[in-house]
Amino acid sequence: MSASLAPECSEAKERYDTCFINWYSEKYLRGQTKPSKECEELFEIYKTCLNKALKEKGIYDMIEEARKTGPEIRATSKR
Amino acid sequence: MKVFESSCTFDYPWRSVSVANWRKYCAWNTQSTHVVAVDTLSRSVDVPTGILRTERLITCKQNVPRWLMKLVGSEVSYVREVSEVDPINQTVVMRSTNLTGSSLLSVQETVIYAPHPEAPMDKTLFTQDAQITAYGAFTRLCNTIEDWSVERFGQNAQKGRIGFEAVLEMSKKAFGDMKHDRVEEARTR
Repeated sequence: MSASLAPECSEAKERYDTCFINWYSEKYLRGQTKPSKECEELFEIYKTCLNKALKEKGIYDMIEEARKTGPEIRATSKR
Repeated sequence: MKVFESSCTFDYPWRSVSVANWRKYCAWNTQSTHVVAVDTLSRSVDVPTGILRTERLITCKQNVPRWLMKLVGSEVSYVREVSEVDPINQTVVMRSTNLTGSSLLSVQETVIYAPHPEAPMDKTLFTQDAQITAYGAFTRLCNTIEDWSVERFGQNAQKGRIGFEAVLEMSKKAFGDMKHDRVEEARTR
């Protein structure tokens, strides 16, 4: 897997990525599209670490700004 | 504005390619060295359609000529990518845009992975296009920046293809015969 921009998050990222790709190939592509609770928990840990790093590096605001303008593929009905 | 377009065929089924795509910038890809990090920002599954939406931040670091360095100020750049996997129609669509230097240069890329129309069970068609626009008061400078960017984009795309081929081959070796897996899966449906 690829590295995280924040080295301190790499371990949490690795654990999440491994969980995700297993779910993706073993469940999702076989029609069980319901998200995995285990992966979501690992994602929360990784995301907490990542968001802290993004804020420290001043990238967070850039992302927030970009979310307003796209790219979006299509308006999903979710949420 | 300049447009870059390219397409190629991967001799692996869509399913295998779509899995390996998540590993595209791993250690097996020794070509795309300009991608130094890939972070997932958010991810969700749309309930009625099963479409998986992923938002990622790609960190790039590449050598830029000194004249361009003066304008953009940094070798590190960030790209936001939003992708959608449609498991029913078997498509992966990825759209990305540059976050850094966007007041000077806009790069909008779209990548699609779909089963190859001539061999949908065995091959995957990859198409890529990018719209590259430089902003500025001086047309000549804009043209120079656009030309340089299109050329670099093409070089990186070529490296990306070669690097991804290696990832596909290694994935097949490491995770077993995915073709067999797919055939078996089709039978049980």
